Amino acid sequence: MMMSSPSGEPVVISGTSSDSHTWNLVYLQLLVRELGHPVLNLGPCVPDDLLVAECARTGPRLVVISTVNGHGYADAVRVAPRLRARRELAGTRLVIGGKLGIHGAAAARRRDQLVAAGFDRVYEETELAAFADDLARLRVGVAS
Amino acid sequence: MTAGFGGFVARARAAGRLVVQPRMGFSDTATMRAGLLATKRVPATTVGTLTLDSYTRVNDIAAADHALAEGIPLNGYPIVSYGPERTATVLDGIRDAGFPVQVRHGSARPQDIVRASLAAGLDATEGGPVSYCLPYSRMPLTDAVRNWSHTADILATAPNAHVETFGGCMLGQLCPPSMLVALSVLEGLFFVQHGLRSVSLSYAQQVDAEQDEEAVHALRRLAADLLPGVDWHVVVYTYMGLYPTTPHGAAALLESSARLAVRSGAARLIVKTAAEARRIPTIAENVDALTLAAEVAAATRWADDEPDAADTTVHTEARAIVTAVLGLAHTVAEALPAAFRLGYLDVPYCLHPDNAGRATSEIDPTGRLRWAATGSLPFRARPAAAGRGPTSAGLLAALSHTQRRFDGLPATAGAADRPVLGAQMTITTPGPTSTYLPPSPPEHLASPVTRAALRVQQQVLTAARSFLAGDGFIELLPPVIGPVTDPGVRGSKQLDVDYYGHRYKLMTSGILYKQASLLAFDKLFFIAPNVRAEPVETCNTRRHLAEFHQIDVEISGGTRADARRLAERLLVHVVRHVLRTAGDDLAALGRDPVVFAELLREPFDVLTHAEAVAALHDLQYPQSTDAEIEWEGEELLSHKARRPFFVTDYPKGSRGFYDRENPESPGTLRNFDLIVPGGYGELVSGSERESDYATIVTRMRETGENPAKYRWYLDMVRDGIPASAGFGMGLERLTRFLTGLDSVWQVNAYPKVPGLVAP
Repeated sequence: MMMSSPSGEPVVISGTSSDSHTWNLVYLQLLVRELGHPVLNLGPCVPDDLLVAECARTGPRLVVISTVNGHGYADAVRVAPRLRARRELAGTRLVIGGKLGIHGAAAARRRDQLVAAGFDRVYEETELAAFADDLARLRVGVAS
Repeated sequence: MTAGFGGFVARARAAGRLVVQPRMGFSDTATMRAGLLATKRVPATTVGTLTLDSYTRVNDIAAADHALAEGIPLNGYPIVSYGPERTATVLDGIRDAGFPVQVRHGSARPQDIVRASLAAGLDATEGGPVSYCLPYSRMPLTDAVRNWSHTADILATAPNAHVETFGGCMLGQLCPPSMLVALSVLEGLFFVQHGLRSVSLSYAQQVDAEQDEEAVHALRRLAADLLPGVDWHVVVYTYMGLYPTTPHGAAALLESSARLAVRSGAARLIVKTAAEARRIPTIAENVDALTLAAEVAAATRWADDEPDAADTTVHTEARAIVTAVLGLAHTVAEALPAAFRLGYLDVPYCLHPDNAGRATSEIDPTGRLRWAATGSLPFRARPAAAGRGPTSAGLLAALSHTQRRFDGLPATAGAADRPVLGAQMTITTPGPTSTYLPPSPPEHLASPVTRAALRVQQQVLTAARSFLAGDGFIELLPPVIGPVTDPGVRGSKQLDVDYYGHRYKLMTSGILYKQASLLAFDKLFFIAPNVRAEPVETCNTRRHLAEFHQIDVEISGGTRADARRLAERLLVHVVRHVLRTAGDDLAALGRDPVVFAELLREPFDVLTHAEAVAALHDLQYPQSTDAEIEWEGEELLSHKARRPFFVTDYPKGSRGFYDRENPESPGTLRNFDLIVPGGYGELVSGSERESDYATIVTRMRETGENPAKYRWYLDMVRDGIPASAGFGMGLERLTRFLTGLDSVWQVNAYPKVPGLVAP
């Protein structure tokens, strides 16, 4: 997709290594852009190595992992410590959202484990409003 | 006739039976076996499916093995991990000449999958060098072409191998049919050039039934020309985009896909289930879907054996693409990467690095999928929306177009009403508490969304003026300041200006001047700017601006019914005019004209305030019986509504002194609001006016106003003004409703959101 980006370090949007869904990423790209942030959209099926390398290279203001295929939990728990292990990404805001497991239950336990793995915030599939609010706040933080 | 999968389908087609097939894959072998058996037992002509899990698809066999070892369920059948013996036990006694089984996966590097499949005797699969690379993988296209060339060579060693192209799906939705047809044909030709003799060409149902039929006919015509001597058939996929969430909507969409398949001369249909929007469907849900699809197919008349030779837009564009691509090289394998580099092939919204991303698509006002920008495609579409990129809201509206249509919902509603998007996407838009606010003025003014909205607003103004002038109304230019103004309600404050040492007010509404102007004209209107310092809490309602405009109308001697009827006619006229003149802008904003169909059928329903309160109580909303209906309550009713409706007879305390009290029902006012559906809320507020001096003074005192401040107005009323009725229609709210935008600030060039300091 065409992208004319505002300047500055980007919001990195990425699918997980096993998730081939695209529309969630296209939508998030438009939404994040409309809220005034430059976007680097890595697309679907992003291998862990590529995600870590691109984040280390661009120093993102926020990393958004979006996943809807039901394997998101397992993929995310694996990759988050790898991101956190990079010194330059240790303090980067890292969030994940979407459909995180193939069973709806056990969400709270999943959330705790994702946070323990290194995520700052876990958005369940119904929490996009909260995500947009957090993005709007992030913008204020950057502007001031 | 060919043996194997292709031969089975050809025999069913010759017998006039549509083959129906599920998408079904389970990681547990017993469940997988039960699913195949249940599919076989459906009273219809079925074929079985093994859909693989997503670890296997990306060749992460270690992850699939690990999940199996840990007992973590996978989202499909891990054929490589299980190996041929295990898979043979799953198929044993089920797969036979009368029940072929196909492997469905989605891999851009499927050699191991195909080897594992062939080892288990499974020689039917699906995929393609483009369709399993671009949407689902980061692999360079040239690598995917090499992998699929290798895979096709492996498959071609099996005597009855069959491959189905997945090129007719491409991201599931919003890819224009001509590109789907072209890619499906090109992938089919790719397989044939690698020695396969039996292929099927897919086409995924899109948004318009007639256009889809044209597409399948075009696909059959191109296949007949380009695949002579090859066993081929067309397979239709039931809608692959966001699926309806209601059982009736899901069933209706499935039924329409079965009719599409039969009417257009396809031979096979891959179904979706009622559970599709929420989760992986059960075996029973798959059986239900197969049964229903077969029943509908049996009751539908088949297309002629020869494809329709009409030169439809789909056919013309698809043929232009295929011809241009084939002209690039001797083989499809060589031509495909070049075609993507040149932008002859370009898939809208596809994020793959090898996709040009210059072509975009949209749903046009008639509900067809069309090119919005054609980039370097080898044909020119009519310039539709050049330069206007999609917005997130517009994208969601287009993505949920079919879902909403089949669920019987307005095509786009207020954001709070947006569906939880199904398993394809599973996200919702910001709710009503989102702090989504205007960007900087230059960014806002330059935004294609703002420009489209303002063009729509221009048509609103043109339509309103010509309608009212045609009805004998005189447009007067409203004053901006005065010693007093409409005292208003709902907590908004007036703003002062220093006028030669006098404290004057900016107009909160033109009501006092409208009544005065009746001394000059019987029928008049303003297009009036109003300023109300609304409470800061309203900055999130999405429908409040501190500075806004009203189409403010007054009729001398009119009754409430006259004013209501006029508001209704005005709204219908404006909507008709905008649909006629601003269709491209609405389409670019993702607004589906279908939402206005109910509105255009006047008259609107009428509820009294008491009935509206009762309706809210039924919805467990704590609305006071003797007060203004609160924002949230009004929005709730608006969401529940299918068409606009009036609320009449508000209690006396809730509105200004100029709204006439009902002599037959003291305590209620002869007034009305017009609420539009979809969560957009109140659009019009009006009433029969009080014109009696003593009553006005009394009412002023009751509402806490000091009559002494209103001296010029009361002097005039004492000398006599005509009785009247009138209303104000919010211009920005109307434009927001027409454009379907999230917030009213998006339709104002210089938005002042309550509480925010803005230029």
